[in-house]
Amino acid sequence: MIDPAYVTQILINGVLMGLLYSLVALGLALIFGVMDIINFAHGDFVMLGAYLTFLIATYFLIDPTVTIALTVPLFFLLGIAVYKAIIKPVLGAEPLIQIAVTVGLLMFLRNLALAIFHAEPRGVPYTVFSTPITIGPITIPLSRAAAGAVSLAVLYIVHLLLTRTRWGIAVRATADDREAAALMGINVERVYYTTFGLGTALTALAAALIMTFSRADPYLGLLYGLLSWVIVAMGGLGGVVGVLASGLILGIIESFGMSLISAGARELFLYVTFLVVLWVRPRGLFGRR
Amino acid sequence: MKVRRAISTAVAVIIAVIITAAVVGGIAYYAALVTAPAPTPVTKTVTVTQTVTKTVTASPSPSPTTTPTKPKPVIKEVLIGLVEPLTGAHAVFGQEAKMAAELMVDIINKELGGIKSLGGAKLKLVVEDCGESPETGKLAAEKLVSQYHPPIMVGAYISRITAGVAEVTEREKVILVMDALVDELTEKGWKYVFRVAPKASAHGKSAADFVIDMAKKKGVKVESAVVMNEDSIFGRYVANGAVIELKKAGIKILDHLEYPYDISDATPLVSKVKELNPDIVISVPYFHDGVLIAKTVAQMGFKPMFIAGAGACGYTDPDSIKAAGKAVEWYTNTYSYNPARPTEWNKKVVSMFKERYGKLPTEAGGIIFYSMMVVKEALEKAGEMFPDDPLNPDHLREAFLALDLNDKNSIAAQLYPTGRIKFAPNGDNVYAGTAVLQVIKGEPRVVWPDAEPGLEPIFPRPDWPGK
Repeated sequence: MIDPAYVTQILINGVLMGLLYSLVALGLALIFGVMDIINFAHGDFVMLGAYLTFLIATYFLIDPTVTIALTVPLFFLLGIAVYKAIIKPVLGAEPLIQIAVTVGLLMFLRNLALAIFHAEPRGVPYTVFSTPITIGPITIPLSRAAAGAVSLAVLYIVHLLLTRTRWGIAVRATADDREAAALMGINVERVYYTTFGLGTALTALAAALIMTFSRADPYLGLLYGLLSWVIVAMGGLGGVVGVLASGLILGIIESFGMSLISAGARELFLYVTFLVVLWVRPRGLFGRR
Repeated sequence: MKVRRAISTAVAVIIAVIITAAVVGGIAYYAALVTAPAPTPVTKTVTVTQTVTKTVTASPSPSPTTTPTKPKPVIKEVLIGLVEPLTGAHAVFGQEAKMAAELMVDIINKELGGIKSLGGAKLKLVVEDCGESPETGKLAAEKLVSQYHPPIMVGAYISRITAGVAEVTEREKVILVMDALVDELTEKGWKYVFRVAPKASAHGKSAADFVIDMAKKKGVKVESAVVMNEDSIFGRYVANGAVIELKKAGIKILDHLEYPYDISDATPLVSKVKELNPDIVISVPYFHDGVLIAKTVAQMGFKPMFIAGAGACGYTDPDSIKAAGKAVEWYTNTYSYNPARPTEWNKKVVSMFKERYGKLPTEAGGIIFYSMMVVKEALEKAGEMFPDDPLNPDHLREAFLALDLNDKNSIAAQLYPTGRIKFAPNGDNVYAGTAVLQVIKGEPRVVWPDAEPGLEPIFPRPDWPGK
């Protein structure tokens, strides 16, 4: 018989990690939803953000979470720059060309990190979120609780942005029908670069949260990139809610699988879930089209 | 309007360039800071003018009165092939191995006067880069064999590459002294391989021995343990070595966990270990997961009696300490070499290495120190045992097997963590063992079996609340 307190512990671990996964995937979901472009380099932006967080935090001796004041605006601009320089020329091009471009960006970022930092992990050796919260038999690392809370808050804010603001309406209109939106006077170009900027800025935020308990390494992109893709595909085009639901499902399944069955089969659980969901609902949990 | 658009595009491009430049520049600046003045690698171009180990037979005697005797070979030089990953992902290790090998050859030739039993024959290193894969390893070995056919090769640090190299050396009957650790390498029935370094399972065994020994010394009773490892073949061998040793000591293994080293989150793992509540944890990490696990253990407030690392990756290396900070304080790990071992020759070799290359030798260099010295001892032995044909591969093999080295009779053993070297028929060192390093006040220190002067292992962990 498994201790109910332990099951609760596993569930909490899974929920908190799932929230963070949702945040990581949110940027990708936005970009994909609006521009119909597959940004394979998404995970590597998280990796780049993690290194930047590490550099800034250790240079100024500040907490990794404080670095977002610098990294998030910087990544917003970086996102716009990447959009203008790399993505815009291939919008509407053959999917193969789009894939080549973003995969090229991925390879560039990953090898840049390998060349500069080598394969050794880098981490910020301190954070204010280093203590556990203990409630009876259950322990929640503060870093994970903070990451979960911030992720949830940001998901909600982005949801509000999309549903309550003129910009959000423009974004959704563009996602639905680009030409009709343009004919209605929406500046599609602006929608595109702000979305790409926001999507990239979110990776910097996620990276800062990740750095409170984890490390930066050149292959971090592989880890989070693939996961983001699964979440976006599973969520369908269900917007923020779809991303949140898929993130939570994966986080919880990962936690239970690793804790109760085998830690070695982590990816097996994730991808079996993915396959089962797509088998039952080929358009994802919240697919509309 | 067109002008405005052009301006805004121009501004965007300028911003893009500035940001990219700032990011790349910042990173490059940082990289320049961390890659402190690297010692310029000594690149030696080996000209292909020499033939195989030169055996100059005595010229026929002009006098007809002398009785005909079998000509005794005169060996002036023995070629040693060094196959290491000098480029690619593992270049850090290969480059250090090469530095160490060059230093040892200089010591053997200049300070020790070459191989005495071979009339003072000098060693000559021929180096080849084995790259990143078993295939490139094979090619490198083939190249060395076809160009020089050295009687002995040393390499190739990474186990799977070494397996590729060994395929060639076995076929060509070249002795291969391996500096790679996966157990399998000596389990394939290969005849011409030797390994002085402690194999993977010996690392796990040493971690367990260390914990058991310390518990006995400190009068605490270890009853239960959890063993966990990243699920590579190396990690598994190390962990199995620990499991066997713990079971032998009557310690209950509550669980043996395996996980992929690239996990994004260690809470499920640490929650599980915490739930099992073992006295000690033996953990075999790679580098990335080590940082993650240590941080998660600290952040979850898990306080067992002791957490011992094994397998020489993570926890106690300078990068992991930098990345994990206080979270890895009191963690230990096992290493194939002990730079602090207080023997005459170990001190000397470490200081010479430091003087020549401006840094302390790590495991990659340390394994080469004693492996090269064992090569020297074996050549001496071969010269004594088979004066007529010392470099015959089967004679060399017998010479290796005849070695029984300790601190008193050899330099090689003085450089080895346990101070004893004797080969089993499969090529492994019967007395294989590791040194244990512990993070004490943020510094990796050698604490076991020979601690640095004035130092004692910290055991149990000071934050352990007791039973």
